[in-house]
Amino acid sequence: MTDTVDAAIRPENAGAAVDLDALRALAGPLFDALAGSGVAITVTDPRQHDDPIVFVNAAFEALTGYEAAEVMGRNCRFLQAEGVDPQAVAGLAGTLENAGSATVDLLNVRRDGTRFWNRLNVTTLKDAAGRPAFRFATQTDVSADYGDEDLGRELRSTRQRLAEAKERLRVAQTVAGAEGAWEWNIAQGRLVADARFAGLYGLDPIAAANGLPTSAFFDAVFAADRLRLKIAVAGALNGAEVFARDYRVLVDGELRWVSAKGRTYLDAQDRPVRFAGVLADITEQKRVEERLRIAQSAGGVGSFEYLSGFGTVEVSDTFCGLLGLQPATSLPVRTINAVVDPEDQPLIGGRESERLGPAFHEFRIQRADTGEARWLACRGEHQAAPSGGVSFIGVIYDVTATKRSEDRLRDLAAALEARVEVSNQERDRVWNLSRDLLSISGRDGAYRAVNPAWTALLGYEPVDLIGSVMGGLVHPDDREMAGELAAGLRTGEAVTDFDCRVLSKDGELHWINWTALPDGDFIYAVGRDITQRKLLEDQLRQSQKMEAVGQLTGGLAHDFNNMLTGMLGGMDMGRRRIAEGRIADAERFFEAATQSGQRAAALTHRLLAFSRRQSLDSRPLDVAALVASMEDLLRRTLGEQVRLETDVDADLWTAVADDNQLESAILNLAINARDAMPHGGRLTISARNVALSAARLAKSDRAEPGDYVEIGVADTGMGMSPDVLSKVFDPFFTTKPLGQGTGLGLSMIYGFVQQSRGHVEIESQEGAGAVIRLFLPRHRGEVADLVEETDDRAEGGAGETVLVVEDDPAVRLLVVQVLQELGYRAIETESGREAAPILQSARAIDLMITDVGLPGLNGRQLAEIARESRPDLPILFMTGYAEQAVDQSTFLAQGMEIITKPFAIDRFAKRISAILRRAEAEQA
Amino acid sequence: MSIQTIFLEELERDALTELVNIGVSRAASSLRKMVGEQVLLSVPSVEVVTRQGAATLIRERENGELVAVRQDFEGVFSGRALLIFPQANSMALVHAVTGGALSHGEAVDMEDEALAETGNVVLNSCLATMANMLQKPLQMSLPEVLRGDGASLFTLTDQHADGGVVLFLYINFAINDRDIRGYIAMLMDLPSLQALRSLIADFIERVAGDVG
Repeated sequence: MTDTVDAAIRPENAGAAVDLDALRALAGPLFDALAGSGVAITVTDPRQHDDPIVFVNAAFEALTGYEAAEVMGRNCRFLQAEGVDPQAVAGLAGTLENAGSATVDLLNVRRDGTRFWNRLNVTTLKDAAGRPAFRFATQTDVSADYGDEDLGRELRSTRQRLAEAKERLRVAQTVAGAEGAWEWNIAQGRLVADARFAGLYGLDPIAAANGLPTSAFFDAVFAADRLRLKIAVAGALNGAEVFARDYRVLVDGELRWVSAKGRTYLDAQDRPVRFAGVLADITEQKRVEERLRIAQSAGGVGSFEYLSGFGTVEVSDTFCGLLGLQPATSLPVRTINAVVDPEDQPLIGGRESERLGPAFHEFRIQRADTGEARWLACRGEHQAAPSGGVSFIGVIYDVTATKRSEDRLRDLAAALEARVEVSNQERDRVWNLSRDLLSISGRDGAYRAVNPAWTALLGYEPVDLIGSVMGGLVHPDDREMAGELAAGLRTGEAVTDFDCRVLSKDGELHWINWTALPDGDFIYAVGRDITQRKLLEDQLRQSQKMEAVGQLTGGLAHDFNNMLTGMLGGMDMGRRRIAEGRIADAERFFEAATQSGQRAAALTHRLLAFSRRQSLDSRPLDVAALVASMEDLLRRTLGEQVRLETDVDADLWTAVADDNQLESAILNLAINARDAMPHGGRLTISARNVALSAARLAKSDRAEPGDYVEIGVADTGMGMSPDVLSKVFDPFFTTKPLGQGTGLGLSMIYGFVQQSRGHVEIESQEGAGAVIRLFLPRHRGEVADLVEETDDRAEGGAGETVLVVEDDPAVRLLVVQVLQELGYRAIETESGREAAPILQSARAIDLMITDVGLPGLNGRQLAEIARESRPDLPILFMTGYAEQAVDQSTFLAQGMEIITKPFAIDRFAKRISAILRRAEAEQA
Repeated sequence: MSIQTIFLEELERDALTELVNIGVSRAASSLRKMVGEQVLLSVPSVEVVTRQGAATLIRERENGELVAVRQDFEGVFSGRALLIFPQANSMALVHAVTGGALSHGEAVDMEDEALAETGNVVLNSCLATMANMLQKPLQMSLPEVLRGDGASLFTLTDQHADGGVVLFLYINFAINDRDIRGYIAMLMDLPSLQALRSLIADFIERVAGDVG
């Protein structure tokens, strides 16, 4: 801007320039802005005589036709036309004096004599002391407002000129590379150049205008370019008519690119006389071009420009390079398109070219030089060309790498698909061939798909299963657990290693080990048939048990031998005494033999209890009475040092258990407790009512939540370590020295309680005693039965007929003998086959006594046959051991009872008479 | 990648370009006098390539049939000069140099003649100027008009068929503001190129000394 303002000031008026600095100081940057605008401006200095003009701008010159130099130092009034309104002039002066600013329209006259209405807008600028320093006036042609037609016309033409002048100025100012001109007189060897040329070359403009030696043409030229320029000029000076060179000049340490274009003019004899031309600063252009070139070549971007209808395309070197063509500035369309793969859209003039706007396409080429196949992308824009037609300007670049990686990706995807296909096939194969049960279910648990193994293993066709809910085939005993796990699956919990029994279509049970995993909307399950394994496990368990029994047998054989010695020896001695006639003496030996036999019986009973094969005589039991009856025995057993306390609830429920076993258990526990208190202590036997929850019974395999009678045996002994505690129920585990215990105590108690559908808990800390709690199920019925037999005496029979079925001759003999002695009539048979016809006959039979374990028809089956024709026949089973008879409640029907061998004759007699009496009573 | 091997240094190419420029300017002056029209000829640059390269260049840059005026030259350097136009341009050139005075039919009839004459003027001026500038004389044969594609123009069967080079130049004819594009090709063998080079070197030396 400053340049613009200064340009309007004539250098001759040095004084004005000085004033101008003061003016800028007052008016600030706004002044320069205004001065540079198209508004005509004058500045006067009221401090000087007659308020002379000190500044006018270019717009003022254009408006008035006066040059700045002509008006400097003069008062503005020279502009006033004849007949100007004196009052208006006076008014202006007065207003200025008073207000400092004023606006007035005055009729003015230009240098060429034309008149115009000038709207003056004058402002007084004051200096620091408040005195008027400058008057700043804008001048506007408002002739149109005054309607003067002549003036209006003048105004229009003036404005036109003004616009032109401004345009010229603007062009000159904005085009930094405004051209300088030179003329080289070949004959005279002189170089004449204008100021602009001089400026570009750093020459003195006046000297240049006056003429310089031609060497001046090369002086400023950058050394590296000088010789090439000299060669080119040599051509021109020798008659080459067209001259065009771009080169660098070094002026004031600054390197600038210039472009020289010239002609050589020849005389009539074709001798070169004049070499003239113009010089332009193209530094900026070069920089941009260079930047573009670097960008394009670095980025591998080739540019092109094509005008529709033309046969050639303007191209860059990189463009040619990308196509494998020789560098050229223009190439025929056909050459370019010939490189493009015939199947792809041509680079130039494809279908796209019809449409204006941006265009993008990718295409394959075969490089013209190497024949290599590449992928290129073309991005450009179709525009309406100013000269008509459509121009297509754009760039191309190589996208082969991208395309190849795309291809690779595609190949990879295809390979992956193939692999997925293969793995699908593998999966299908696994699905079809697997012997494991594979299923896919929805989150609702309904089967969506099952594999053929389901048919092979369980006999179900897919159609039987699809849509049904998982777990439907599970054995009822396992269904609850399976149901819980299935519910977990639905909420996303996996199932691993769950064994359950599954029913096949023909009702067979299979043990299946399940693994199931919910994933997404589906549940995937795998089931492996482990029936065989379970079988093996059972066998293993059995064989382990057999091994244990073997160990046990070894230990027991000794005891049994002792007992048998006692029995056999006793009887032998008894018989001898009888033979000797010493009958009174014999009794002693028979008593000893009987005792040995009873001990043996007790031992087998306990062994059976341990193996849980015992036939328990579970009956309603008054635990309080039992404990009370044991107190005396216990006190004697525990000795002096241990104090016995009993704590039994007054309203204790009736329990269901085998009283002998409970007695034995309490005794065993008391002895254990005693042994744990070698220095004495306190043994507490308690009994109370409790309700056990499912949680408390988690470890029990037979007890169910409900009411129980708790029998606690607590001592104040040395207690047990956790290690010992974890093993106390193991068979043969003992803390006692060898020979002092069998190690079967607790495990036998455990077996008894389990079999009684009860529960055992043990609690102990080392040094703090131990508590063992036995929980026996509460009896839910009459207790009256209890007393029935207690003081029952065996009464003699009255000739009732009893059918005896027993395969063992010794037992049969004994039984028949007893019956006869008691006054019954016995029918003696040794098998079901013998007994059945009798039962089916019309013979009167009042009671059947049968062994359970018979060859052929067993006792229970025989009972069935008997009941067919004699529904009310009382039946007494005898059993040493019979698996079926273990659970008496399911084994025995109405009117059937069981007596376990061995039994005392007396007790046997009582049972028979009691049964017969009951039968009589029922009939009556 | 480029078929331009370094047969000439940059300065030498500049110098050769200028020599050819001087030559074509002479030719333009002659043509101006012949046709009484404004004729301006210029050669922007020169490339020195193998024959194969020249064939490639012309094939890439011109798709169609070509017309060429051929003159052999002999002297301190020897070879063959070709002025080549695309077939399409040659008629325009004929019209231009005959000032549009001929009908189309006449122009077709005269085409070869007009071309031969134009070619003679241009090539002769070029070579003569070069010879003068290089201060060595050259013998020129009569012009001959050829038609064919690039390969046939450059694979001429003579003893220099292989190993020769081609000075390959664009030439712009501006006749009455009408631009006609063509090529000048000078086929020569390597010894001739060497001879030309040393002459050019002398020229450069003189220029570096005298001018300015």
